[in-house]
Amino acid sequence: MAQLKLERVYKRYVNSDKSFFKKAKQNDYAVENLSFTCYDGEFVGILGPSGCGKTTTLRMIAGLEEITGGDIYIGETRINNLLPKDRNIGLAFEDYALYPPLTVYENLAFNMRAKNRSDSEIKRAIDYVAPLLKVEELLRMKPPALSGGQKQRVNIARAIVRRPGLLLLDEPLSHLDGKMRQQLRHEIKRMHHEIKCTTIIVTHDQMEAMSLSDRIVIMKDGNLQQMGEPIEVYDNPANEFVAGFIGEPPMNLLSSVISRADGAFLFTFPESELRVEVPKRYYDALSDGQRVTLGVRPVDVVVAKTPTKGSSVPIAIYENLGDERRVSVRVGDSLLNMTTSEDVWYERGEMVQLEFKAEKTHLFDPETGNRIVSRKEGS
Amino acid sequence: MDNEQKTNVSSQSKNTALDLLGTFGRNLGLTLYALFALFPLVWMIICSLKLDSEMYNTVFVFSPTLDNYKAVLLGTDYFKAFFQNLIVAGGAVILTIVAGVPAAYALARYDFKKKEDLAFQILSFKFAPEILVILPIFTIFQRIGLYDTYFGLIWVYQLITMPLVIWVVRGYFEEISVEIEQAAQLDGYRWFDIFFDILVPLIKPGLVASALLAFIFAWNSFTFPLVLSGFKIQTMTITSLRYIASDTVHYGQVAVASLVAVSPEIIACLFIQKHLVRGLSFGAVKG
Amino acid sequence: MARITLENITKKYKDKTALDNLSLDVLDNEFFVLFGPAGAGKTTLLKTIAGIEFPQEGLVRIDGAIVNLIEPMYRNVSMVFENYALYPHKNVYDNIASPMRSKLYRKDEAYIKEQVLRVTKMMRIDELLDRKPSQLSNGQRQRVALGRCLVRTPNVFLMDEPLAHLDAKLRHFMRGELKEMQSAFNSTTIYVTHDYMEAMSLADRIAILNSGHIEQLGTSLEMYYTPRNEFVARLFGEPEINIFSGEVEEASGQLGITALGQETIMPVEPDVAAVLRSGNHKRVHIGIRGADITFSFAEKLGWIRGSVYTNEPIGNKVIMVVDVKGTHIYLVAPNDTKAEIDKPVYISMNMKDAILFSAESAEYIIRHDARNVSRRRGANKAVG
Repeated sequence: MAQLKLERVYKRYVNSDKSFFKKAKQNDYAVENLSFTCYDGEFVGILGPSGCGKTTTLRMIAGLEEITGGDIYIGETRINNLLPKDRNIGLAFEDYALYPPLTVYENLAFNMRAKNRSDSEIKRAIDYVAPLLKVEELLRMKPPALSGGQKQRVNIARAIVRRPGLLLLDEPLSHLDGKMRQQLRHEIKRMHHEIKCTTIIVTHDQMEAMSLSDRIVIMKDGNLQQMGEPIEVYDNPANEFVAGFIGEPPMNLLSSVISRADGAFLFTFPESELRVEVPKRYYDALSDGQRVTLGVRPVDVVVAKTPTKGSSVPIAIYENLGDERRVSVRVGDSLLNMTTSEDVWYERGEMVQLEFKAEKTHLFDPETGNRIVSRKEGS
Repeated sequence: MDNEQKTNVSSQSKNTALDLLGTFGRNLGLTLYALFALFPLVWMIICSLKLDSEMYNTVFVFSPTLDNYKAVLLGTDYFKAFFQNLIVAGGAVILTIVAGVPAAYALARYDFKKKEDLAFQILSFKFAPEILVILPIFTIFQRIGLYDTYFGLIWVYQLITMPLVIWVVRGYFEEISVEIEQAAQLDGYRWFDIFFDILVPLIKPGLVASALLAFIFAWNSFTFPLVLSGFKIQTMTITSLRYIASDTVHYGQVAVASLVAVSPEIIACLFIQKHLVRGLSFGAVKG
Repeated sequence: MARITLENITKKYKDKTALDNLSLDVLDNEFFVLFGPAGAGKTTLLKTIAGIEFPQEGLVRIDGAIVNLIEPMYRNVSMVFENYALYPHKNVYDNIASPMRSKLYRKDEAYIKEQVLRVTKMMRIDELLDRKPSQLSNGQRQRVALGRCLVRTPNVFLMDEPLAHLDAKLRHFMRGELKEMQSAFNSTTIYVTHDYMEAMSLADRIAILNSGHIEQLGTSLEMYYTPRNEFVARLFGEPEINIFSGEVEEASGQLGITALGQETIMPVEPDVAAVLRSGNHKRVHIGIRGADITFSFAEKLGWIRGSVYTNEPIGNKVIMVVDVKGTHIYLVAPNDTKAEIDKPVYISMNMKDAILFSAESAEYIIRHDARNVSRRRGANKAVG
């Protein structure tokens, strides 16, 4: 049981592509000034697109990668110079890497045997862990006979059987198909609930990070974008990147120009007739003619039931997906999507007025991508 | 923050010094190896410029002469052998391409009985030592009048060239997704067009590399022309024998003959060295 | 523009049957979706229409004419392959122009240029014309493949999972684009997918394929609300529909169902009761979607008691899995729901939305108001 702390961690890979005469170009930082803390017993997801530095971060924590700068602590111990085996870490990679000639039981026992633990101690540890990941039935089998999902269960069981202080999971579900993935996600969550081990999962799938983690670290190009609870990053994204990355269907992000008419602010859009009222809480932070990026989730766009100051636009797409209905209108080059679970039906071309749910509308600076906050919120 | 960057910088400069040393060592090693590899060629050039009397000197000081060149190039019909060798080896490769590429396509695309056995049998032609089969072939060739003909040699060279080309090109065909051909069919192309417009460009690296290698093997072949050709057709490998008389060996002339013999190979290899490595190591068709 | 008819098609690969005596009639100008799990025979069916696979039995007709013996290139069909099948040595422009340069469908270069530019603009790949396929991302390749397909005006467009390899965001976006373009296709389209949202969104009609035969044929709403059997029901909706068994019981003249080891009888609507009575069903399987189950953490009389198995926030909603005596029930909760694992929770099924299946055959029996729910076009208009 331990708390993990990263303090201003940097990683730069040495450029190996060099010649005798030419000085090699230095690589950009793979991880840059990364600081965050996982509290004891917390489940933290590191989320980002490929190449964002999330796996590098995990490998630095595990000790498989040298740290270019900064410090990593487990509990009070600075682990920068500890060997991987001395860090008391359990690791499960995307690839199972089980020992094929050994039974599942022996695979689980392997590490403890190496440390000369007694047979009864090993048996006790395995008996405890096996039901958590539903591998009791598999103990006598050998890895080649297992399905992908079963292998990954064994793999994770092997990582926790020694009761490590910190459990690291690297894309454990990405090889599995839909159903299996969902099941294992449940098992992992319940396993964590049971053993309460500080756990870090690295993933590129926002749905996976949201559903498993207590808090999520979102990274892009080696930099931390935001850290927070799933609902927090979903409802209050710190910048345009987070807003676009989290949520399915994705948030609508439209470039808009603010225009003032009759004392009200309206969102206007290049090459589009669409006008939508700006929620009142932003009035103090905006001015006429200001360019913003408007972010609003499909569930937070609604067809106005009473007339608004905005304009009517034709519906471009109506999709009835059973569980929900999706409606889109054209805004210049892009589509503005809305989703509702209400049972509504539209024809293509039907004219509607739109409204954005005031408290769920986000504005971003088009240059920096940072969130624009109203003064009331800011203070 | 500043502190950290400083430590970074110092560790990096240390790295650079180490790296330089490594680079130096690597280059030194490569230079030594190049000397080792090129020495026989250099020695051969030197020999070709020596008189027979100076041949056994191991010092590099000697009086150079072009006598050997004169003797070989002007005094005998060595050039004739050169061109005959070109015809035989070139003809063998052309026949291999014409027959082997469609065969490779069939082995890659169609599913028929005993396909793998057939493919293996083709490969196995390359296993048998030439000396083992040469006598029966000699007898047969004599009977059916192929002895000492261009066609006879071109035909028997297929044992050398065909397996190589078929196996490399088959791999290339297998790498091309069958759906690309199907897409082209739906686009309205006939099989013939598909083959030349789409498949041939995609197998080109492998075809060029394996054809070149096949050419070199055919060019260097010794046993077959030794037994299966007489006075009409003479390849260079056989002609070179002439300088080994029963009493003396004219090393100078042998060296000249060998130099001429390897020259097309060296030139060809230098030209398509890059394609050779890539072509034989696949992966070029990914798209 | 053509009507595609398949009559009793059987296709075998060695000892494996890919299509089993399958018949299908796709109408002129229809957008027809083939939907089903991997290995169901969807791709084989497309290739049979294209003429690159030959059925052992049965007839393929294009506009009535039997085309079994017609070479693929003369059938005038246009296809998107799942693995794109772009020509690796040609750039984007030449790839898309390729169908218009063959001897059979040759057009002059000016016309080709116009068409390629039209299609690439539509697909938003007009910046990439000089790139080779190896220099494109998967999403871009997919759009080039679609472009090469759409540049022609064939008898039928055949699309094999054209969005399958895109990431979730791009797939969502491209589905919208396809849906909007649909009316511009102006031709019959047969579209293969294993994504139920694509199927529901795009299809005029859907055929559900399962190991070489058609499980159900109909509109997306028919599939969603009145699936012919449990297999079809499980294919539509996220999270997957809950299916568990129940006993039909009668109490004081009212028919109801007990399930999940509960005492309480959940009453059913009169139209459902009538069918259960006339068919003399004793045991049934109840299919109910996560959105039709309500929950409460406070104890409620008559509700089913369970415990939270897991609770997964996925953004706009929370998927809660409730364990009721070993059966896992998936339900959809508001996105701010917090629930500790193993905490007790009370759930109530909205039986009006339940779909009943036969316990023996897993075939559809009845749901409440079946006629209307699967055909309501223009209903609930008041909201708009």
